[in-house]
Amino acid sequence: MRQGVIEESAGGMWLWLLQRVTAVVLILGLSAHIVVTHVLNLGELSYDNVAGRLAMPFFVVVDFALLGAGIFHALNGLRMVLLDYGFSGRSQTMLSWGLFAFGVAAFGYGTWALWPWLTA
Amino acid sequence: MPEATFRIKRHNPEKLDDQNGTGGDRYDEFTVPYESSLTVLEGLFYIQEALDGSLSFRYCCRAAVCGSCAMYINGTYRLACQTNVRHLGDGPITVEPMPHMPVVKDLVCDMTDFFAKYETVMPHIIRNSAPPEKEIMQSPNDRKKLDMPVDCILCGSCYSSCPSVWGEGNYLGPAALLKAYRFEVDSRDEARKERLPRFDNERGSYRCHTITNCVEACPKELNPTEAIQWLKGAAVRRRLLGRAK
Repeated sequence: MRQGVIEESAGGMWLWLLQRVTAVVLILGLSAHIVVTHVLNLGELSYDNVAGRLAMPFFVVVDFALLGAGIFHALNGLRMVLLDYGFSGRSQTMLSWGLFAFGVAAFGYGTWALWPWLTA
Repeated sequence: MPEATFRIKRHNPEKLDDQNGTGGDRYDEFTVPYESSLTVLEGLFYIQEALDGSLSFRYCCRAAVCGSCAMYINGTYRLACQTNVRHLGDGPITVEPMPHMPVVKDLVCDMTDFFAKYETVMPHIIRNSAPPEKEIMQSPNDRKKLDMPVDCILCGSCYSSCPSVWGEGNYLGPAALLKAYRFEVDSRDEARKERLPRFDNERGSYRCHTITNCVEACPKELNPTEAIQWLKGAAVRRRLLGRAK
């Protein structure tokens, strides 16, 4: 096979590794979410109570980790599915950057949604 | 005397622009008599010798060792030489070339890309240290790691069955990656940076999306998918954790 093909194909390890890491983050994060919201009794279910919890530094970190991990895991998974439909070379690069841009926009939107609790 | 009906897909490269637009493809039926048992390969020999001398197919060892006669028989990847027609039921035996491969003629596939990719992963022991006086020693436990991958006979069934190969012409495919694994797990191999970049890339191990068609297709019942997952982990161990192997 041409040496050029090997060179232009470099990479892939980080995306693969991050897909596994984000999977673990999602499993732990979603388990924690279910436990916190449905199992533990953390006081009355009211707007002030939930807002107060969302503003706690620990939950801010968890929320952003879940937001980032969820977006990355979903879009990279979608990318892998789409790759099997004939994306290759230049179209593969465009697909990856397109999904990256969408991911950045989605993260921005998620941040905008979480912002009021950070500044409350 | 029992008889077997062979329904063989024919492809004539000289009739590619025939009038009915089939690209010279058609199915021919042949009746092959046999006595006690008959392999598909023996049936093909009979057809070629007695019924139609223009039939083309590959074979060599007749003992499931060389991998030349892999074909798509009754919708399953099989080696023609180790497939007994008695195990194929009563209906006609449909014999086709391996799907998703360019066909040279009849049952003969063009394996050029397959072997070019095989060579890409440097399928040989790489040594950097001085050669020992006698042989290179290997413990029984280390040898055991090679039990699965050394059985690969490069028939191309896994490669033909892999959807990632269909979608990306430059993807190395399961056979080449299984071969990379075979040498990467070998304790005698000392390759550090030679082979790694050849499989640790977007068109190497990471293009495998664990569809596992290769595991189902392999006539030797090997597991290329598992080997490819090992290669992904090995790349992380070597590039991030600094392991030698």
